[in-house]
Amino acid sequence: MKTETRTSLGVGASAPRPDGALKVAGAFAYASDLWLDGMLWGATLRSPHPSAWIRSIDVGPALALPGVFAVLTHEDVPGAKFYGLEHADQPVLAVDQVRYQGEPVAIVAADHPETARRAAAAVVVEYEVRAAVTDARRAALDPACPLVHPGGNVVRHQPVRAGSAGSGAEVVVTGEYEVGMQDQAFLGPEAGLAVPADDGGVDLYVATQWLHVDRDQIAPCLALPEDKVRLTLAGVGGAFGAREDLSMQIHASMLALRTGRPVKIVYGREESFFGHVHRHPAWMRYEHGATADGRLVYVKAEIVLDGGAYCSSSPAVVGNAASLGVGPYEVENVWIDAYAAYTNNPPCGAMRGFGAVQACYAYESQMDRLAAACGLSPVEIRVRNAVSQGSRLATGQVIDSPAPLAAMLGELAAMPLPGPPAYAPSGSRRQGGSGARARGMIGTREEPDPRRLPGGVGRTTRGEGVRRGVGYGVGIKNICFSEGFDDYSTARVRVELLGGEPHALVHTAAAEVGQGLVAVQAQIARTELGVDRVTVAPADTSVGSAGSSSASRQSYVTGGAVKAACEAVRRRLEALAAADPGLSLGELLDRYGPVEETREYRHRPTVPLDPVTGQGDSHTQLALCVHRAVVDVDVELGLVKVVELAAVQDVGRILNPLALEGQIHGGSAQGLGLALLEEIQMRDGRVLNPSFTDYLIPTILDMPPMRLSILENPDPNAPYGLRGAGEPPTLSSTPAVAAAVRAATGLALPRVPIRPEDIALAHTG
Amino acid sequence: MDARITLRVDGRVRPLALDTRTTLLDALRDHLSVTSPKKGCDHGQCGACTVLLDGRRVVSCLILAVTCDGAEVTTAQGLAQEGEPHPVQRAFLEKDAFQCGFCTPGQVCSAVGMLEEVKAGHPSEVTDDLTGPVTLDDEEIRERLSGNLCRCGAYVNIVAALREEAES
Amino acid sequence: MIPFEYLRAGDPAEAVAAVAGRPGAAFLGGGTNLVDHMKLGVAGPDLLVDVSRLPLDRVEETAGGLRIGAAVRNSDLAAHPLVRERYPVLARALLSGASGQLRNVATTAGNLLQRTRCPYFQDVTTPCNKRVPGSGCSAAGGYTRYHAILGASEHCVATHPSDMAVAMVALDAVVAVLGPGGARTLPLAELYRLPGDAPQRDTVLEHGDLIIAVELPHLPFARRSAYRKVRDRASFSFALVSVAAALDLDGGLVRDVRLALGGVAHKPWRATRAEAELRGGPATEDAFRRAAEAELAAARPLPGNAFKVAMTRNAVVATLRALAEEGR
Repeated sequence: MKTETRTSLGVGASAPRPDGALKVAGAFAYASDLWLDGMLWGATLRSPHPSAWIRSIDVGPALALPGVFAVLTHEDVPGAKFYGLEHADQPVLAVDQVRYQGEPVAIVAADHPETARRAAAAVVVEYEVRAAVTDARRAALDPACPLVHPGGNVVRHQPVRAGSAGSGAEVVVTGEYEVGMQDQAFLGPEAGLAVPADDGGVDLYVATQWLHVDRDQIAPCLALPEDKVRLTLAGVGGAFGAREDLSMQIHASMLALRTGRPVKIVYGREESFFGHVHRHPAWMRYEHGATADGRLVYVKAEIVLDGGAYCSSSPAVVGNAASLGVGPYEVENVWIDAYAAYTNNPPCGAMRGFGAVQACYAYESQMDRLAAACGLSPVEIRVRNAVSQGSRLATGQVIDSPAPLAAMLGELAAMPLPGPPAYAPSGSRRQGGSGARARGMIGTREEPDPRRLPGGVGRTTRGEGVRRGVGYGVGIKNICFSEGFDDYSTARVRVELLGGEPHALVHTAAAEVGQGLVAVQAQIARTELGVDRVTVAPADTSVGSAGSSSASRQSYVTGGAVKAACEAVRRRLEALAAADPGLSLGELLDRYGPVEETREYRHRPTVPLDPVTGQGDSHTQLALCVHRAVVDVDVELGLVKVVELAAVQDVGRILNPLALEGQIHGGSAQGLGLALLEEIQMRDGRVLNPSFTDYLIPTILDMPPMRLSILENPDPNAPYGLRGAGEPPTLSSTPAVAAAVRAATGLALPRVPIRPEDIALAHTG
Repeated sequence: MDARITLRVDGRVRPLALDTRTTLLDALRDHLSVTSPKKGCDHGQCGACTVLLDGRRVVSCLILAVTCDGAEVTTAQGLAQEGEPHPVQRAFLEKDAFQCGFCTPGQVCSAVGMLEEVKAGHPSEVTDDLTGPVTLDDEEIRERLSGNLCRCGAYVNIVAALREEAES
Repeated sequence: MIPFEYLRAGDPAEAVAAVAGRPGAAFLGGGTNLVDHMKLGVAGPDLLVDVSRLPLDRVEETAGGLRIGAAVRNSDLAAHPLVRERYPVLARALLSGASGQLRNVATTAGNLLQRTRCPYFQDVTTPCNKRVPGSGCSAAGGYTRYHAILGASEHCVATHPSDMAVAMVALDAVVAVLGPGGARTLPLAELYRLPGDAPQRDTVLEHGDLIIAVELPHLPFARRSAYRKVRDRASFSFALVSVAAALDLDGGLVRDVRLALGGVAHKPWRATRAEAELRGGPATEDAFRRAAEAELAAARPLPGNAFKVAMTRNAVVATLRALAEEGR
């Protein structure tokens, strides 16, 4: 057989997205677009209270409405009443009590969505409101705090102990930092369609990140064997972690099984804010000790994450915050305590960056303080302490693949800065204090271009009081699931003749959520099989688990599985070719028929962190990204315009340059949002801003041009040497933007998002 | 209360009987199975439902269908001509100006409407000289498309896609 | 949304009669605010009288001024050559509001009559005196970042959300109203009211009153005017505070000035005290500051919005300073 590798759209090419033409034409079917004749619409009644006993539920008034087919409560859950990713502590429908505002209490199916909503509202629930626990620090650390769950309020406490903390430092900087509650805010709300099957099971078409873990949670609650719960991925309108937990899956299935009709549930935007977990808000206290020349001697940190009402993935988030809590820096003595606490706030769980984001904001803020205390530049302090291959993390884990952080910082710092500020710093009358002349500031005299000024567009000022700042941020993120998780993916690859031409069919359960995974799977098949024509089958549970589209892991793990399955197919084809020399691939397939192989792929095993010392090789791969942000700040009005973001990231091996750049752009945009805009406003356990008018995500005008440099230092343990890429930019962009605003204003700004008033109030003159 | 209206959607005449409460977005999606406009927020805050209504870009979620009797509605699906994608759609493909794609039909319609507004000489908030001609530079593209949220953050590539359009 | 009848009015008189004769009726312009409120349950008219297609969609030159039809779309008004040339503050204010898609739909009168963005007003599960008179104010003691610092009452601390109206109030705009009792005009500044003990009423309009036009008087120095909007996001977001200003300089002195503030009160706030302070005085930064402070002496900030006082002052100073520098 002649192995043809002439294919031009293999690994390394900017292969177009197979679903791209449909998406730009509006013809791609998202979960919310699904439709079956005769289907019913589901709706969910949610708790208005963050904490209450349920004294009674009367579904009668709802059932009495014409067009209503079913009204179900916890009593109607056929099997297990609770589910969860790590602990099954979350009720399918509230049982006797509610622990957060928005907790599902009852579900309805009706023949029109409006009828379903009205019926849900007609369910009469008698609550006895209790005091809500809303302070995570108190929940975690104060033994007198009321319990949200009987087992205690601490979801996980993970210490990390290395060396002996607290001695020998010549310079000490401390700081307290906070990160607000960020929302994933995908544009396509939660949606799915459940179809009752003749065998008593259910077929569920749903937008999710991990079909099999959904099924593993759904089936016990429906009291069905796994093979009677079949999931197919529907079009996913963004995920970013918010589709890792279940939302409407069990509810729609229950309603479908009860009514014998297909049931569609689509959340509205407001409901979406209540219908998925958020990024953990964090309170963090750090102390860094260093030598006078800026070499870290010790780091102490206390990190408290608000886990909200249910466990979700909080334990793993704590594991990341603890194990990556000092960042990519060499330091011998480490004393970290990371906690997640139960509160009556909304449940928090997975969001892009997953525990590493919060810590990164704090440790990078600390590195800037240390730089200032030691009289070093932000770049120099980071270079002096940078990890490299062979470095030992605080957990004792040795970085065993390239980690060229110092070189990345050097490259970043050498990138040209954007054009001069679009303003003319006015004369001495508007000079700021010495703090405002901090390192990183640039001052030039130029004619103003009023359009390029903060406030979006310049109509807010003509330049007086506008100052430029430059800031740096560095992030380190674990790729794939850590701490001993059996993290694998499955791929089935079949090569056959279609229309007389060799064709490869790749089938996995991996969720395309926008990251470009469908394209990458096809690219791998082309490269490994030398076949141009590749189809990626729809993801469903008729093939083995692919694991989650999270932790930046799918190119690695599902990519690895597709590669392994292709290699197995290729070996069989080679064996056939050896027996029948001289035949082309097409002739071989014609003679011997289709060749199909299925393979599981696992990354290297990891181990859980020691619960007392936090030691252990908990991660399989680590990825670095560094950002430089340039901002213009109108200090009088508190407005920030990010002028440019520059990033250097080492991805090991580029599989698809265009899609990769998009991932870095997108991660950077979400980090920018956390730095300047995004926070779910909570008051006494209630969400105040569940809309896109009040929860602001960056618009295209907020997102500046980006300069990228992408490095390829392969990881010998990973397929093609690749390193997961989706999350690291989300880490480092936030501290870079915050540092730039600090450099422009001279303010401490210990909390993100930074609001206009945080700046303007300090410049009230 | 029911009403009878006629819309011309993507070139096809579509008579409709619907409740007066029905928005244009729901009429398209639920009554006519035209699902290219997306329901991202249903409150005019995200732009995913953008269509061209008598040639002007609008958010279809805040418009009652009954007010549109006789109107011409063009969605992303209708922008393609004889199976060929609209130049803006092609530019989005070439520049990878989307990821999950949920906002994309709205982005595309918004961009097409925006280009017409520029052609008509309409200023934007970033236009420095209100009385002068409009040059569609990157900042103009950004301001004019700021009514279309993209959470995947494909903004850099959206600007690149429309820069090509602006130059052509 | 509760069921409603729909009527497309043939002329303004028919529209007025239709609404005036039915307590539950409402006018429908572009609908970008009303339809939203109907979805939220904030509004529940049983008859919608569509006035968006009435022949009120023209911008006409009057004696030195402009007459803007009530149904003129925000985008068309912003793009109108005479608005851009003579009243840049209005064009800027319009262009800073909402998004291109919304401006293509929203009408002039609808923009004037849009209702507050107070989160409690929009959340029908919470008490709100503006939505349900007498039910209480959830914002008092609640989340008040976007709320009023001037002219509020114990019953309501909401702010008016319009950008356009701030510019129009600065420009001494007059509204032409057709009501069941006939036609009348009134200054736009007098259309709006402070909440007092009746915050359910945003304006002095009576049921059935239809705004048919907005008249902008001759104001040559408005050619040097500006609108500045301070907000959390660069675009497509409501103002924290905003300033509309026009400045007429005589050498280094202020011959005349127009100044209005947005985001600070239940209505677009004409800064008459500041204007009085400025007229005839020097066009210096210190004078601008003193004028702003004079206006803001009456400010009564809430725990969550004390920053707005300094932010408003700074925005006033920055706006006037830029206009003064432009004029030199």
